[in-house]
Amino acid sequence: MKAPFSKYLDSLVPGLRKLIDLLSESYDYVSVLSTDSKGLVVRISQHSKSVGNQTMTTERGTVVRVYKNGLYSEYAFDRFDPAEPEKAASAIKEALDSQLAVLECTGTAVYDTAKLPDEPLELFVEKECEQLPEEADIKALVEKLSAISDRGKGLSEHVLDCTASAQSTHICKLFLTKNRYLRQSYVYSEGAVFVIAAKEGRNRIGYKSVSGLCGPELFDELEKKTDEAVGSALTMLDADRIEPGEYEVITSPEVTGLIAHEAFGHGVEMDMFVKGRALGAQYIDKRVGSDLVTMHEGALCAEDVTSYAFDDEGVPAGDVTEIDHGILRTGICDSLAALRLGVKPTGNGKRENFSHKVYTRMTNTIFDSGSDSLEDMIKSVKYGFLLEGMESGMEDPKHWGIQCILQMGREIVDGKLTGRVVSPVIMTGYVPDLLGSISMASTDRKVFGSGGCGKGHKEWVKVSDGGPYLKTVARLG
Amino acid sequence: MERFINILNAAGTDGWEIRDEKTRGWEFYFIRHRLDQNRAKDIEQITLKVFKKIEDGKYLGFATAEVSPTADDEEIKKTVDELVYKASLVKNKPYELVQPKAFEPLVNVPAPLAEEAGRFISAFNEMPETDTEDINSFEIFTNVVERRLVTSEGIDVTEHYPDSTVEVVVNARRDGHEIELYRLYELGACDSEGLKHDVSEVLQFGKDRLRTVPTPKLSGVPVILSTDAALEVYRFFLGSLNAAYVVRKMSPFEVGKALAENITGDKVTIDALRFVEGSPRNFSCDEEGSPIRDLCLIKDSVPQAYWGGRMFSQYLGLEDSFNISNWAVKGGSLGAEELRKGEYLEIVEFSDFQVDEVTGDIFGEIRLAYYSDGKTVTPVTGGSVSGSMLDNLADMRMSSETRRYSHAVIPSVTKLGHITIAGV
Repeated sequence: MKAPFSKYLDSLVPGLRKLIDLLSESYDYVSVLSTDSKGLVVRISQHSKSVGNQTMTTERGTVVRVYKNGLYSEYAFDRFDPAEPEKAASAIKEALDSQLAVLECTGTAVYDTAKLPDEPLELFVEKECEQLPEEADIKALVEKLSAISDRGKGLSEHVLDCTASAQSTHICKLFLTKNRYLRQSYVYSEGAVFVIAAKEGRNRIGYKSVSGLCGPELFDELEKKTDEAVGSALTMLDADRIEPGEYEVITSPEVTGLIAHEAFGHGVEMDMFVKGRALGAQYIDKRVGSDLVTMHEGALCAEDVTSYAFDDEGVPAGDVTEIDHGILRTGICDSLAALRLGVKPTGNGKRENFSHKVYTRMTNTIFDSGSDSLEDMIKSVKYGFLLEGMESGMEDPKHWGIQCILQMGREIVDGKLTGRVVSPVIMTGYVPDLLGSISMASTDRKVFGSGGCGKGHKEWVKVSDGGPYLKTVARLG
Repeated sequence: MERFINILNAAGTDGWEIRDEKTRGWEFYFIRHRLDQNRAKDIEQITLKVFKKIEDGKYLGFATAEVSPTADDEEIKKTVDELVYKASLVKNKPYELVQPKAFEPLVNVPAPLAEEAGRFISAFNEMPETDTEDINSFEIFTNVVERRLVTSEGIDVTEHYPDSTVEVVVNARRDGHEIELYRLYELGACDSEGLKHDVSEVLQFGKDRLRTVPTPKLSGVPVILSTDAALEVYRFFLGSLNAAYVVRKMSPFEVGKALAENITGDKVTIDALRFVEGSPRNFSCDEEGSPIRDLCLIKDSVPQAYWGGRMFSQYLGLEDSFNISNWAVKGGSLGAEELRKGEYLEIVEFSDFQVDEVTGDIFGEIRLAYYSDGKTVTPVTGGSVSGSMLDNLADMRMSSETRRYSHAVIPSVTKLGHITIAGV
């Protein structure tokens, strides 16, 4: 079935068109983004069970962007009455004029920017899914997750708790200007099994997830993740601490995705180029990785949690080849950064929700596959680790530093896994060194979309990332 | 509000809560000192929570939903009916909902947005920038929030408060090489002098970052934390006393039992506080309506009280518990300069310093640290630290001086003796 577009948003269109007309009397450019995204969350553990409708991306509201005298301004609100657009226009103008008065008092200069183009475009996209979160069988889902939690808890005396969670969001967005009329509706879902195990006073966390551009039907895949999550928590209970040093490593697809995201995801967000905050600006058409490194970014690159049809500035989704056989080709860009840099936007202008500003943000960030088998990759390692499980990461686009906190490393000696495990592991290093050392890549690849991404330490949005197994050299601690 | 109450009262619930948060905000985004964009917002977030007894009170289910302020009565009724059904599906161990209690309200009077915005922008116009250390970009978010909680049990509390956030990126350059440092400040009202003081410190760090050498391989060297990264260390203690962690048997701590045997370092004392000057979290009640009060959580390294939300607090038999907002850690026995004697690595900039509240694991990549061999101090960069808080409970040291970060007051210097330092 097709995920149906919001009737509520359709009902706003005449009023929003009138609002644009009214504001156009005072401003040289006006755009409107209205959202109506519904969700479902079920979380079941041994000690707490809950059902809700709020996910990271559920929202209903409107943001208006206006332009005059080189300055872009925005007003976000959630009480638009389509019968009274004059009231909204008046509130917007009053608030923004009050801000301009403060800016004048403080002698603030404007970062003069050109006017956005407004070429005619109409788009109506309803993506496929089997179920909608609004219509999910909650009773069956609660029973399914309860069974997973009970089973996970029962798998070992060391398991303290096993939480099964499922969330699904039906995104509906409407973008309007004088010449643009864009509507999209799609559903994405994500689920996870989260296990806490303890032994001799030490706790360890095992975590496995699923995600996809689909409805609650995704949660049928959660059951088989239970053993993996419990297994990884128990494995870490008996793990050793790693001896800090530089090692040959093989990154699992989840870790590969984290590297993609942190290394040349944030590093080529081009709003950072405008501010002079990214070293990548100086490396376009230069080598930043080995020949085996090709990396794509864009909402069209994969079918996962952020595979939209247009971004929050009304730019159609794209697929950008950021790194081509080790050469950095381009970055990703929101509309205003594109204007300032004199390039075309790539469809990567995203907001945390309607009440937040647009920044250049990632969507799907993915390394291309290679031609090696995992078996051959392990055989090629003299002494090193197979790195698994992603906890978190942090980028440093100005200096190309990278920090990845990982669940575990499986020891490899003379081409064989020994069974010894080290945990936890912090992988750090200089991005060109890390990517330049990639010497093998597996034929398969996976994409993961269960996490969120911040800009600095705020502005959280959904992203996905992934790739194949990669062999490289990294500093572990 | 009345229409929500009427619909909830008619829906056959066994209890309900309505949280209504109205935010008016102004935002300003700057590149260098030129305005990139200005934004205003006027939004309202309404959240309903419905409770339903299951099997004659053997279990208590609950479900939550966010409702748009534009929802009409029909949409609200449909949402509430769905909540009643969903709540009947989740079998939680029963507990008593929060009952109204007398408390003295905290009075916050937020300044008008225009006034606050003007103060923030002016503060940035007066930062002590130089030709080689300056501000790359900054973002100002200043909000006035009205938060109201109404419950089926008779609680009706409204709080007004200012809530501001400032993001600052600082550059420093020398010989054609430029670096950046990042800060995110969570504030109540604008504290211009405090902000200028903090940014000045970061500008100095930027200057030092350009003089760094690679972090050497170090073994057995204590680590000093003297910036907001140290908050993570103390959040581990707080998290471990959260009723939700205790009920799940995840906490290594127990009320009345010392944090560690044979404590040779400074003893840890932490209090939850109702009010901290300048905090954005000075609330009379928590989000469930439990009054917030001063409460000693740990005294001389012996836990005194658990804290937490109503459900898990009730499971532990705590009647007067609450979700803490502000907190303070008492200073230790020695001054900061005493703690800086001898060999140490003082880390002031991480990529992202973390202490896992569940495992106690410590991680962080070093962006700027000062290595002292006991005689000279050298700025260093690169490498990482790792370890476990569980290994540092017996002999961690804290300075007698304290410093406030947002809603928390902590020793200005924290010294951990059992951290692995991976040099470059």
